[in-house]
Amino acid sequence: MNKTILLADDEEDIRDVLSIYLSDMGYSVITAEDGLQALDIFQKEKPAIVLSDIKMPVMDGIELLKQIKKRDPHTEVIMITGHGDMDLAIKSLKLDACDFITKPINDDAFEIALKRACDKIELREQIRVHNENLHRLVQEELHATRRQHRQLFNEAPCYISVQDSELKITDANERFKQDFGDKRGAFCYEIYKHRNEPCLDCPVQKTFDDGLSHQYETVVSPKKNHPYNVLVQTSPIKNEKGEITHVMEMSTNITQVRKLQDQLSSLGLLIGSISHSIKGILTGMDGGLYLLDSGLRTRNYDRIHNGNETVKLMAGRIRKMVLDVLYYAKERQLQLTQINTAEFALDVASAVKTKMKQAGVRFKTDFGSTSQVITIDTAQMRPALINILENAVDACVEDCSKDAHEIIFSVKQNNQSAIFSIKDNGMGMNRETCENMFTLFFSSKGHKGTGLGLFISNRIIEQHGGTIIIESAPTEGSLFTIRIPS
Amino acid sequence: MAKKIMIVDDDPAIVTYLETFFEDNGYETCAASDGTEATKLLKQEKPDLITLDLDMPKEWGPRFYRKYTKNPELKNIPVIVISGMPTNQYAIKNALATLSKPFDRDELLKIVKDAIG
Repeated sequence: MNKTILLADDEEDIRDVLSIYLSDMGYSVITAEDGLQALDIFQKEKPAIVLSDIKMPVMDGIELLKQIKKRDPHTEVIMITGHGDMDLAIKSLKLDACDFITKPINDDAFEIALKRACDKIELREQIRVHNENLHRLVQEELHATRRQHRQLFNEAPCYISVQDSELKITDANERFKQDFGDKRGAFCYEIYKHRNEPCLDCPVQKTFDDGLSHQYETVVSPKKNHPYNVLVQTSPIKNEKGEITHVMEMSTNITQVRKLQDQLSSLGLLIGSISHSIKGILTGMDGGLYLLDSGLRTRNYDRIHNGNETVKLMAGRIRKMVLDVLYYAKERQLQLTQINTAEFALDVASAVKTKMKQAGVRFKTDFGSTSQVITIDTAQMRPALINILENAVDACVEDCSKDAHEIIFSVKQNNQSAIFSIKDNGMGMNRETCENMFTLFFSSKGHKGTGLGLFISNRIIEQHGGTIIIESAPTEGSLFTIRIPS
Repeated sequence: MAKKIMIVDDDPAIVTYLETFFEDNGYETCAASDGTEATKLLKQEKPDLITLDLDMPKEWGPRFYRKYTKNPELKNIPVIVISGMPTNQYAIKNALATLSKPFDRDELLKIVKDAIG
């Protein structure tokens, strides 16, 4: 404890006597002759206890008391009053003086007053230390709990975001930040889907509406990786009044599961298509056998011949179907041949000319020099490019925003690669469609699309070591750039 | 006069089969390989009955059916669906019959005879 005492009294005798007395008690004493001087010393020395006469020149004890309490309410002030100054003594107590002693000073009363001041200071100190410890303990505990919660939040094997009623992200776990960036304050649909407006069937919105947990399956696009299939689950976060202030959204990556499902459903599709083909072939076979039978019965050689041809044709179809199934089941080796690039492009172009004409789309080609060659499996690359060109036609047909449509198909070649580009001014695509277009069974054409076409095109181009880059914006058309190593 | 049957199917082998079979049983035939062609032919030939495949390029069976049944002159021509599609029985509700490929030709002949003699 600070053992400094400031003693303010205008009577020199009293200052001297009390100084000696207090020094004997182990205090270091500073003296002042009036209130103003005392206040000055007080500000410099910060004594824990002030002894002050009430009646002093320049600034009296009451005013000094007020000023000290204003500056440091914890300073204990003991007032020294003349005999009969009871009103002033009481006034000083009201102003939070610790005690008062009367002149002539009684040693016992003086000691009691000092002890009371010291006790008060010590008690206050004890409370302060206790409070500090308690505060630190609470903080540590709170910190540990928070850290534990944060850790659970961050390490949970899913993306977690907390969203407000506008679907703005107010908090997100580490996993989310790693894959999507620290996007607090941005809209959920911007980050997950690169959309400008909320998704239809938004589960977060539903939870805000009904307070229940909702599930939803969708595809999201992280900043680096390929799109993920995710299972989204939501739950409400409520305030003390029970009102929903936020909704927590947890998205679990189920891409592997979906891939498996896709494989299974494509297998189902394949089986359906095989069974359809087999039915047709069997009917054709029945026809061939009928011709053979009736031809043999009536000795009609034309019929026998036709029947025989039909049976042969059907046997051929079965062979082709079996090969197709084998191709599906196993990645086929490319049968690479060298071909003149411009000639190949011309062949692809002529295959789609009719479709362009029927759709009323102007078709421009630019194949440049005719001397360069590429090494590809034409039987595969041809349908892959035709598929993209036909999609471009569909994009033009679907687009009502322009009067005239045009598709430009061009090829350029350098030492490393041949670059085919297919540019249309059709309906264009949003980023969501661009990112999902190579996914098996993803189709933006509703019932018109099977979702197989671009998946297969992409697979063929990847098998050739090539890439497809898509630039597109709604109503502005699309540009497909296909790069095949030479 | 012989009754005429129009065969609509995109598989030439099946068209030949049905043509031969119907002609062997005393019917006249004509054939189309898709819905658009069939619509044209229908007006020229005015057949007494149609056999219709469902899954064809350009225009599939049900669309062709919906179109011609809007024409009062043609709408009463009976149709027999012959298809390999798995849910073909739902495709054309008012069909005289729906046969799955491969079909039983005796059953087909009986249905045709009952309908147009």
